[in-house]
Amino acid sequence: MATSNPSVFLLMINGQIEGADFPEYDELYCKYCFVYGHDWAPTSGLEEGISQISSRGRDTRHGLVWNFPVEITFKSTNPFGWPQIVVSVYGPDTFGNDVVRGYGAVHVPVTPGKHVKTIPMFVPESTSRLQKFTSWLMGRRPEFTDPKVIAQGEGREVTRVHSQGSVSFSFNIVTKDMKKLGYDVGHPRDV
Amino acid sequence: MKFHGPRATLRMAELHIIGQIVGASGFPHSSLFCKWGIHTGGAWRLLSGLREGQTQVDSPQTSDVAFWSHPIDLHYATKGLQGWPKLHLQVWHQDSFGRCELSGYGYCHVPSSPGHHRLRCATWRPLGSWQEQLAQSFVGGGPQLRFPDVIYSGADRYRLHTGAAGTVELELGIILRNFDKYGVES
Repeated sequence: MATSNPSVFLLMINGQIEGADFPEYDELYCKYCFVYGHDWAPTSGLEEGISQISSRGRDTRHGLVWNFPVEITFKSTNPFGWPQIVVSVYGPDTFGNDVVRGYGAVHVPVTPGKHVKTIPMFVPESTSRLQKFTSWLMGRRPEFTDPKVIAQGEGREVTRVHSQGSVSFSFNIVTKDMKKLGYDVGHPRDV
Repeated sequence: MKFHGPRATLRMAELHIIGQIVGASGFPHSSLFCKWGIHTGGAWRLLSGLREGQTQVDSPQTSDVAFWSHPIDLHYATKGLQGWPKLHLQVWHQDSFGRCELSGYGYCHVPSSPGHHRLRCATWRPLGSWQEQLAQSFVGGGPQLRFPDVIYSGADRYRLHTGAAGTVELELGIILRNFDKYGVES
């Protein structure tokens, strides 16, 4: 009965955060978390994670490698609220404090198959030059209290940011029972 | 307006738009934000999601591309194909004093085939007379549209003289439901 008339569909994500490209910064680690709508629930896998601290290799000029696995399966009744992965990158400043180097978010791809994505990162901007100087001195840069805010569309018109750097992901997406529920997501593709 | 009853939803065709406004390039200024909205015909009903919004203001540090990564997640139900959703954009520049100046208008149709799409939307801005253009190069400002629906309709366009502005990049994933039950091929 469950397979002939399904009421939920599954979305399985096997992927990794491959690495980052921040030309000005080194020794970075990242945190990821998933943001999803009310109709979605994770059934297996980890919703959050923290990667290792990585330095640039001697041969690669700008790229950092994390190779950090992201494996999670969601179940849902409605594609609205499709999961987004939110990534925050942190690293040391000149005084050794841990400061945020970038936030970014992207929707998990909608079509089954392999996808490689590079997403730009941004940091919130200080409101005045004085605040910029004191935050550089004290090591307390402007940051979001909850990184999940980046995945929302509301309230962003009041934020001023600088974009810097990028993080690259690869995803392998598998869906189950979306066709039986009548959803058409196009042909599976390889990127 | 919420739609009630599973039976009613079973008969309607549904469209999901899941993606983001990635960013903009090719504009003369760097501190940019985008006001966006979706316009549909009368047969379409928005079930969930925000129909319009405004992105953050981005001043890129190293590159000349402004990145917004603004999420779009919309769920429509429709009784007819007419009035397929159109996404319209206004790119604005905010200077260090907080004044906003128009940089470009643009629109693109939401793709009608399911799957992943990468769209590049070209933008334009209205040009005034040569005296106004000269003044604009010194003090900024410049003509703006009084009625923004000109951005996505062709009705009164013949009155305008416009110049090309930069490009906005979007990534949209489209999911269709029950369109094939009505015999619609896409």
